[in-house]
Amino acid sequence: MAQGVNAEEAALIICGSIAAYAAVRILLEKNTLRKLPFLNVLSFAVAGSIALLLPHPLGIIAAAAYFIGSTLESNAIASTYAGGTREQ
Amino acid sequence: MNFLLAAVFAFLAVAGTLGTIIEKDPFAKLISLSMIAGGVIPFIVDRGYLDVAIAVAIIAPLSTIFLLFACRRDSS
Amino acid sequence: MTGDPLHILIAAAVSWINFVTIDLIFRLPQRGGVSGAREIARQIEDGGGALHGGYMMGNIVSSPDASAGTLLAACGVYIAGIPGGILAALLVYLGNRICHDPGYAGTTGALFATFIVYGFSLFGFSAAEFIAGMVIAILTIQGISAVYASRLLSTLWRWRRA
Repeated sequence: MAQGVNAEEAALIICGSIAAYAAVRILLEKNTLRKLPFLNVLSFAVAGSIALLLPHPLGIIAAAAYFIGSTLESNAIASTYAGGTREQ
Repeated sequence: MNFLLAAVFAFLAVAGTLGTIIEKDPFAKLISLSMIAGGVIPFIVDRGYLDVAIAVAIIAPLSTIFLLFACRRDSS
Repeated sequence: MTGDPLHILIAAAVSWINFVTIDLIFRLPQRGGVSGAREIARQIEDGGGALHGGYMMGNIVSSPDASAGTLLAACGVYIAGIPGGILAALLVYLGNRICHDPGYAGTTGALFATFIVYGFSLFGFSAAEFIAGMVIAILTIQGISAVYASRLLSTLWRWRRA
């Protein structure tokens, strides 16, 4: 088996597996706010994948923009659920 | 990007779509929309369109936030 | 550079220690920074978890903290060495301000991680292994059991306060 020989390929396999696992956990969790930590894990895995897929300096900005956007979105969802959009 | 990795991100997009349809709570639907974006952006990056990826990564969450603002204003 | 499983496990442990330590130093478990974090903590507590651990998990979701800083710094070092890591730290700083978070946990985590990852890369580790390691580390806290993770974090928070 030639997989996992390269550090980048191994890292991509790990990020992909964790992303798929997190997606399943999001769907299975019944409580809406408890889904958000799993969404956070998914964002980590996807941000890591973005950096690994294309090692170009703009890729750092792409991974950071995706991660910060996802965090902002989770923050907004949690805050609106809690009823406090006034501080946003 | 090999086939297995493409399958994983495609699974993310499909799972997000399924979640949006099946979930009853509107906030859970929004979380599933975020999953779809997470599945699509790696494909954009893989093709080299980093500027498009940055644009989608900023616009998709921003549209969710505007949606939340609009829903809040309707209910309050 | 081979993807040695031992390297990835060591990278995961080092990333875990880095981000948990810096988050504890910046008092993330003390209170929820925004209303969303407080609500998440309340839901975790309702499910059987511990409140202060829930506050830290809620704060991790709501704003880029040391865990995000460690991940983005590893990505930065992977792509562009130390300047890449510093660019990542700057982006995390911007992200904190965009999320209305006045703290420095994310920026500090990113700066520490930049030098840690670069240091390890001189000893045969690859920054890619740190990217995978950090994703594994956040999985153990946010992605397996909110109940047990929050209890572990609350215990660590009690030690920090002592």
